[in-house]
Amino acid sequence: MLKLPPAIHDAINSHAAAAYPFEGCGLLLGQSGGNQNVVAAIFPTPNTWPQESEKRVRFSISGADMLRAEMAAISQGLDVVGVFHSHPDCEPVASPRDLAWGAWPGYSYLITQVNGGVPAASRSWQLLPDRSGFVEEGISE
Amino acid sequence: MPTIRIPTPLRPYAGNNSAVSVTGNTVNAALDSLTQQYPALRQHLFDGDALRSFVNVFLNQEDVRFLNGSQTTLADNDTLIIIPSIAGGGTL
Repeated sequence: MLKLPPAIHDAINSHAAAAYPFEGCGLLLGQSGGNQNVVAAIFPTPNTWPQESEKRVRFSISGADMLRAEMAAISQGLDVVGVFHSHPDCEPVASPRDLAWGAWPGYSYLITQVNGGVPAASRSWQLLPDRSGFVEEGISE
Repeated sequence: MPTIRIPTPLRPYAGNNSAVSVTGNTVNAALDSLTQQYPALRQHLFDGDALRSFVNVFLNQEDVRFLNGSQTTLADNDTLIIIPSIAGGGTL
């Protein structure tokens, strides 16, 4: 389960809209426990995918940006509990690329669909423990 | 003893610790010490004998790949941070 306060969801939607037509991305900061990731803040990052022409369908977050997010989380007494990114004009469903390049089970992978620059639905996913696929998790406020 | 900070999703495999004290005076020895203490971590950090491609190890906010890699030396009060790179994307 991903607990996502409305104000933070709004901020994620704004970031996704601003990134359109490219994918926008960042980290979810908060606390994890009891099969629940509780988001308290976000850390937007640049989409560092190297080919500009492919950023409509691909994103990457560099290790250096992940480190900056980790240090920001520590300074706020939080942890990195997940990743958010947008799918421009595409369903918010974890893709084969998300699976191939995902990190570890336990992170929430929040995906927001953006249609023509307007944020639409968000869905959240978690990697299965054996990394064989994603399973959807609920989102609560 | 050097310390390794454990990323949030891997803490269940490390006794729910956010940081673990390790032995060894190189990055390689420290990671060996970590996975000997918590063997279930190994599958999430290593693919065979090599670190998984998305796993980065930082020493004092410097990627050890830009230092001396796995042979980077550690002092007793050093802290290593394990951090993933993440990528993905939608489908056309």
